[in-house]
Amino acid sequence: MDTRELCRYSGSINELLARYGVRFGIYKNNTFKEQLFPFDTIPRVIGAEEFAFLEKGLKQRVTALNLFIKDIYHEKQIIQDGIVPEEFVYAGSGYLPQCEKVMPPKEIYSHISGIDLVQAKDKSWYILEDNLRVPSGASYPMIARDLCRKCSPQTFRNNHIEDNRNYAKLLRRTFDNVNTGGHTVILTPGRFNAAYFEHSFLAEQTGAHLASGHELMVENDHLYFIDYSGKKERIGAVYRRISDDYLDPMNFKEESLIGIPHIYDVYRKGNVALLNAPGNGVADDKGIYYFVPKMIKYYLGEDAILKNAPTYLPYYPEDMEYVLKNFDDLVIKDVAEAGGYGVVFANKMTAAEKDEFITLLKAEPRRFIAQEVIDFIDIEIMEQGEYVPRKADLRAFVLMADEPLVWKSGLTRFSRNPDSFIVNSSQGGGFKDTWVLSQ
Amino acid sequence: MKHLCFHYHMQIDFDIPVKDHHFTLKCLPKDSRRQHIEKLHYEVFPNRFISRSGDSFGNECIYGVYEDPHKEFLIDVKGEALCGLKEYETEGNRTDANFFKYQTAHTVPGANIEKYHDELIRRFEGSQDRVREKAEFYMKCLHEDYEYKSGSTRIATTAEEAFSQGCGVCQDFAHIFLSLLRMEKIPCRYVTGMLLGEGLSHAWIEYFSDGLWIALDPTNEKVISDEHIKIASGRDYSDCRINQGVFMGCDREAKQDQQICVSVEECV
Repeated sequence: MDTRELCRYSGSINELLARYGVRFGIYKNNTFKEQLFPFDTIPRVIGAEEFAFLEKGLKQRVTALNLFIKDIYHEKQIIQDGIVPEEFVYAGSGYLPQCEKVMPPKEIYSHISGIDLVQAKDKSWYILEDNLRVPSGASYPMIARDLCRKCSPQTFRNNHIEDNRNYAKLLRRTFDNVNTGGHTVILTPGRFNAAYFEHSFLAEQTGAHLASGHELMVENDHLYFIDYSGKKERIGAVYRRISDDYLDPMNFKEESLIGIPHIYDVYRKGNVALLNAPGNGVADDKGIYYFVPKMIKYYLGEDAILKNAPTYLPYYPEDMEYVLKNFDDLVIKDVAEAGGYGVVFANKMTAAEKDEFITLLKAEPRRFIAQEVIDFIDIEIMEQGEYVPRKADLRAFVLMADEPLVWKSGLTRFSRNPDSFIVNSSQGGGFKDTWVLSQ
Repeated sequence: MKHLCFHYHMQIDFDIPVKDHHFTLKCLPKDSRRQHIEKLHYEVFPNRFISRSGDSFGNECIYGVYEDPHKEFLIDVKGEALCGLKEYETEGNRTDANFFKYQTAHTVPGANIEKYHDELIRRFEGSQDRVREKAEFYMKCLHEDYEYKSGSTRIATTAEEAFSQGCGVCQDFAHIFLSLLRMEKIPCRYVTGMLLGEGLSHAWIEYFSDGLWIALDPTNEKVISDEHIKIASGRDYSDCRINQGVFMGCDREAKQDQQICVSVEECV
């Protein structure tokens, strides 16, 4: 298979992406900057058999994570049985007391999960992190694939590649499964959000209304969309792309201006579905990540199919000892941070920085995890006309509808900096399409 | 056991008209092991719609909205309560209760409460594992060492701030007490309610021990029996605000003046 054959269209595809508004907004020093999200036309290719293995592992993982969230906000068996220490739940920032004893429609919490994986040099896959709050990114390979097909239809005739343009259908099926009666909206904070392109694109593709907070209102225990003429239309599902904190000023952060007052009261009564459910942060905390293989065993009685990167919790004295002894070989992550922030490679610190960091680590062990640095494979990209190797990860999308569904594609993000392992878009990386072969 | 008649009235006056006023009110006492509520009657004015809801701490809520400009808002709740039916509340298990072991923004101790806590540890002569003895001793000390002074703190005052200035109101007694108990890893929660003979709403605490939620009133140094009507409970004041609202001022930010009038008497 010639994966380089789309390279000659690189310029025109990127131009089209820019015209369609495929951008990534980032805040730096309090100013909002929109930047293009560079697309590299060389796809990441995953064989059919290999993807079937990933698919099985991803379904297992997301099923267990959903059971965990339900357990935490209801029975708390996993805490009572001593598998997950209580302080990792209650003292973590992802746990929301407002979610106690509130059951979402069909008991689904994480409808749309973005699971980040990397492939090591020995070809084995590792889970890097779970994103269960408002994971973004599916729209980028969707539109890129569409443009690639237009530029070079023969590429897709000559190769057996799973069509990834069905994502909207899968999403629709996920919405409809939990919809409590009425239309579906995609709730966006507006165009100053990093993923606004995605919100509008997914609304267009799924047929949902794109709405901002002031177009929705609660009345008589139901949620309504108010249209242009002032007419009210009942809403049964909200794919909300704003974080828990800002969802409802009466139940979460009071200063939120983009939320809908009392939407959470209506949800509590079972009169609207929120995708994803509030409170999911309790399961995608970097500290909880360590426990995911244990929860798979606990809830499903199975061994985890997909491995975690070897992880240590300085919270446990024996792990702390290991971390201090092997400090230089590890990557340390602040559990409260996301988007590639709060990640430090010990071997890149000066002696003084190290001392300072170790003092902090000892003072707040619960705040950090340490991981072995996985030497993940390089993927070829084209940079200024040359083929060069770069680090890349894969965000797989797992949708929980009437059954778990894995999208046969994914967002491959790469670091443009040859020395960096951090691929986050907010850190200036680019993206690739992910081809899953159909045979 | 006492049979109490209660009347809670809150009136808010805004200095300029406000609109799009959304509110959540935790003002309804409810049945529990300790109390039985009857003849409950409430009014909220003005409102375009109101409904009932709950929260995750087991409290009753009224929620609703009034969009048109208005300069006043009032809540009126009346009813009768049979208090002191049982000595303790028993809901929830140890794992649920453990959530209340953690300090919150209102209760997190600073240097002064920590120092006071060290002193209490030295003064406490009972056995360390006697939670009940310790809680009552801490209450007694706090009652002696801390002064009640009405109007001396605001609703946003933290336990540490209130303790540092040496005086406060029932909310501050409760927050400081919670802070001390949580330093001992004792699960405990903030309670709002009404007290026989008191003209204002009141606050106290409950701590969890051996499957029981035991209520103590640090402001009055009392183990609660049958004179307290519980309205709501949570981790701290902010979880059980009687009136929570968001609204828009019509021209500028509105100032509000809140009058609360409570009466609790024995029914005749």
